[in-house]
Amino acid sequence: MKKKMAALLVTGILAATLTCTAAYADEIKVWVADAVVDFTRQQIDSFMEENPDYAGYDVLVEAVGEGDAAGNMITDVEAGADIYVFAQDQIARLVSAGALEEVAPDNVEAVENDNDPGAVGAATVGDLLWAYPLTSDNGYFLYYDSSVVSDPSTLEGILADCEAAGKNFYMEINSGWYQTAFFFATGADLSYDTDDNGEFTACHTNYASDAGLIALKEILALKSSPAFQNGSSVGQGTKIAAIVDGTWDSSAAQELFGDNYACAKLPVFEGADGETYQMSGFGGFKLLGVKPQEDEAKLEVCDALAAYLSSEEVQLARYEAVGWGPSNLNAQASDIVKADVALSALAEQLAFTVPQGQYPGDYWSLATSLGDSVISEEITVDTSDDDLMATLQKFQDTCISYAE
Amino acid sequence: MKRFFASLFRDIGDIFVSFADGDGRTRLSYLIFGYGQLRRGQLVKGLSYLACELAFIWYMIAFGWKYLSKFSTLGTVETTKQHRVTVYGDNSFLILLFGLLTIILIGIFILAWRMNIRENRREELLLRAGKTLPSNRKVLGSLLDENFDKTLLALPVLGVFIFTVLPILFMICVAFTNYDKSHQSPTNLFTWVGLANFKEILSFGQSDFSSTFLVVLAWTLVWAFFATFLDYFLGMAVAILINKKGIRFKKLWRTILVITIAVPQFVSLLYVYKMFTNDGLVNGYLLKWGLISSPIPFWTNPMLARITIIVVNIWIGIPYMMLIATGLLMNIPEELYESARMDGATAGQMFRHITLPYMLFVTGPFLLTQFTGNLNNFNVIYLLTKGQPQSMNMVGNAGQTDLLVTWLYKMTVTETNYKMAAVIGIMVFIVTAVISLAVYNMLPSVRDEGGFQ
Amino acid sequence: MEKKTASMKKKQRTGNIIAYAVLIVISLIWLFPFFGLIMQSFRSYNPAVEYGGMVDYIIPKTFSLDNYRFLFSGETNFLIWYKNTLIIAVFVSIGQTIFILCVSYALSRMRFKGRTLLMRFWLVLGMFPGFLTMICLYFLLKQFGLTQAGAVPGLILISVASSGMGYYVCKGYFDTLPVALDEAARIDGASRSRIFFTLTIPLSKPIIIYTALVAFMAPWCDYVFASYVAFGHDKSYNVAVALQRWIWTNDYQGYFTRFCAGGILIAVPVTILFLFLQKYYVEGVTGGAVKG
Repeated sequence: MKKKMAALLVTGILAATLTCTAAYADEIKVWVADAVVDFTRQQIDSFMEENPDYAGYDVLVEAVGEGDAAGNMITDVEAGADIYVFAQDQIARLVSAGALEEVAPDNVEAVENDNDPGAVGAATVGDLLWAYPLTSDNGYFLYYDSSVVSDPSTLEGILADCEAAGKNFYMEINSGWYQTAFFFATGADLSYDTDDNGEFTACHTNYASDAGLIALKEILALKSSPAFQNGSSVGQGTKIAAIVDGTWDSSAAQELFGDNYACAKLPVFEGADGETYQMSGFGGFKLLGVKPQEDEAKLEVCDALAAYLSSEEVQLARYEAVGWGPSNLNAQASDIVKADVALSALAEQLAFTVPQGQYPGDYWSLATSLGDSVISEEITVDTSDDDLMATLQKFQDTCISYAE
Repeated sequence: MKRFFASLFRDIGDIFVSFADGDGRTRLSYLIFGYGQLRRGQLVKGLSYLACELAFIWYMIAFGWKYLSKFSTLGTVETTKQHRVTVYGDNSFLILLFGLLTIILIGIFILAWRMNIRENRREELLLRAGKTLPSNRKVLGSLLDENFDKTLLALPVLGVFIFTVLPILFMICVAFTNYDKSHQSPTNLFTWVGLANFKEILSFGQSDFSSTFLVVLAWTLVWAFFATFLDYFLGMAVAILINKKGIRFKKLWRTILVITIAVPQFVSLLYVYKMFTNDGLVNGYLLKWGLISSPIPFWTNPMLARITIIVVNIWIGIPYMMLIATGLLMNIPEELYESARMDGATAGQMFRHITLPYMLFVTGPFLLTQFTGNLNNFNVIYLLTKGQPQSMNMVGNAGQTDLLVTWLYKMTVTETNYKMAAVIGIMVFIVTAVISLAVYNMLPSVRDEGGFQ
Repeated sequence: MEKKTASMKKKQRTGNIIAYAVLIVISLIWLFPFFGLIMQSFRSYNPAVEYGGMVDYIIPKTFSLDNYRFLFSGETNFLIWYKNTLIIAVFVSIGQTIFILCVSYALSRMRFKGRTLLMRFWLVLGMFPGFLTMICLYFLLKQFGLTQAGAVPGLILISVASSGMGYYVCKGYFDTLPVALDEAARIDGASRSRIFFTLTIPLSKPIIIYTALVAFMAPWCDYVFASYVAFGHDKSYNVAVALQRWIWTNDYQGYFTRFCAGGILIAVPVTILFLFLQKYYVEGVTGGAVKG
């Protein structure tokens, strides 16, 4: 009796579900960070006004930050947004999960010509262009309190000032993104090749080298300073005198430092070999992606909308509204962008950074392991060169294994 | 096992006998469910069986067959592009999920068929013996009386079936497929790979994977042990303290402790985490007062992080245990203590010989549930350290404070490596099941469950 | 004799003083984080008043209600999130209580074929790590149309559907109720359902309140699965999902004090409810845990 009823109910419920799985073809869902939801909605409204042909589509803007957007798209493409902003480090995963449609052939040339080459490279996987560049400000530089740090040009000087004032220097050394500031500075190298499907085919790296060793030793030296704290978020730290962070934190940093707010390119440091190295790092980008569509008309609207949202005017307007640094070359050259303190520091740092290419997801967690080994003092300044080299060798071998 | 087969054979024999011996109504019921019952005036039963058959047939045609037919391959039609439009092919995920559901429904259908036959046989024999069948009203009424258990359990069992059993079976199946980030539905197909994932775990064994697994497993066990027993004894101690004669404001003390239960953990634990960071309040004040010269790495030193987690967990766990112990302590007959006091027993002796044995006996099953609960205690670890710090000595994203479950969580959510998560999930299950079943069968209060009444 | 009691009294008094001291220390430790949380919630995030990020002191330099004002102003969907959570909590609480009572009564009072099998089976099921099945549950709910905009009913469904497995404490409580009462009623011709509704349930006030209270509290802390099901649909978030974002994602800088204020607002109703029903909670959990 019980089972009979169970069977009955199951079939009943399933019958009900069959009827409610129809997709809404006339709705376009857009995912952007909370800070730009209102801005994006306004822009889309004016886009819709300019293009009455597309009036049949309802555009829904939801607040889903870049990190969550990529994760959600990978979990369930169908339920995900039609147009979404993501940080470039996710692009290979998104391509291989089938969550990105190639940029419309008509738009490719314009995107490639109008945006800075690093941004175009970031949106390219294999030989194909998969996304519309939105910002070029996903890089990092130094925010500091000018009443504490007198000279931001050397790491040693900054640390000494912080120590003297009993304040902290923040840098997130257990992040694969910030770590490269040291490794790329000393000439160590790490990059991957991808094919058109977003699969990794080759890894180029020489972390297990003298250059890598100098970089790792510098990280260890930084860790040994009492002023050092791990972290890269202004809102989460205390007693911050200097922090390696990106433009998204500029207003938080202004609040924190008040009149003493200052920005600079990353400092130089003196390596264990006595040479001076300029800290390097990744220059990163935010991209706008369009999801593969089953309906040609809708795809056309999505493409047009994505092209519009990443255009010169909208990028400039977005800078004015929320301060996101544009990837569009003309927008970058405009006077107001050039006058921005944080963006100028970033631009200055740009000369020393490597445009961030494609990295497998496992790299980031491996880098966290390396950083955590430093923070938890598994390896310290006193660890022998051989042991450090062994760690680097392991790191390098694991990196290479991701491309096999 | 032998008995199972014996009864199965007897059952099959019975089916044949029922048919050979049965009248036309019974025989037709082999094809049309409930036919016999309906003809004999058993409307309620007859209609239920008939509805069951019709619903099943409709389900199979409209829904089930489509998925079941592709179950062996999990789909073959690839997603293609026509010009720029995407045409999705088979969805392996849904094929696996609904294929599984269909298989189970077929099993239930066969069972219903068998019950239908047995029912017919029973009715036929009753009528032959000259007895009358129960009225429809009586059949319905029995659902509120002698068959009340079926009414009570119908929905809960159905709920558990759809939302627990089916998903678990699904994940067990996933362990035998190549479902991971490069084989995600609906864009890519995934398929059966046999034991390949289990082999991969074993072949990892030569490198670091097994050592990482062992580190995580060991910490999981150590954690569960301390989290359970420290909380247990300390909670009891606090309860005894509050219950002590002559202590006033008992209710106030209890209320203060109980606030930790009421405030959602994601708020309180986050704040506690922030308090103990290297640049947090605790270190800040210790530094300010000059008690330490450099911050204590509460979360970043692996060993210290583990200790801190256990200590913070005491903060969470004592109130629960205190409440439980408070009630139980009141149940201990006061005469026991009186007579012990007469004999000149000290407080310590009374605790060891009266309180502790009583508490241990009574809370045995509770302790076991606590222990298995702690083995899988996701919240505390995730809200405090998220498994950090990681280490170059460990692989697969695992951190030094990761429990098996939090590691599993990272694999599913962060890495979308579902196949490996499923394999590890099965291992977690085995660990938990072996430990708890072994302990469970040893508990005195479980063995005489029936004897209690 | 006189002397002995005096010395005993003295001994007891020193014992009590130590006990009070320990209790006071314990209370301070237990209350400290909440004290901190409350203080943080009164620190303004407005840079003109005070800095809103993490700081290394507890007492704000100026007390302000800015955070609370922000939460109620409609700048975010906080009120919707709060309402969602409240709805989920109420329905889950009712649903789970009904399910658990049904299962517990059937398992405690009735003897039927497959009873022990069912109990063993559910015990084993409970040993599977829960969120292994999360992805599967998500897609199941999606088939029902109960994700994103439908996340609230979806979460209620999931929480209630499998709740029958959590019958242990309640069944333990029923086991302690005298069977003789049931049997007397049956001799008088009462049906099982009648006994359940008119005899067992009125005797079970503590365990019902305990079950409802535990069920009511859980949704306030559910974020892993809730965020999965809401899938980016802001209006379907519960408070835990929404507030977690303020701490763990880069999009929300300097939201720490607002997070604390939100946390306080969440804690208030649950705490009040808990304090009022504490007595039943204790009776329920001790009554039930005896048998586990």
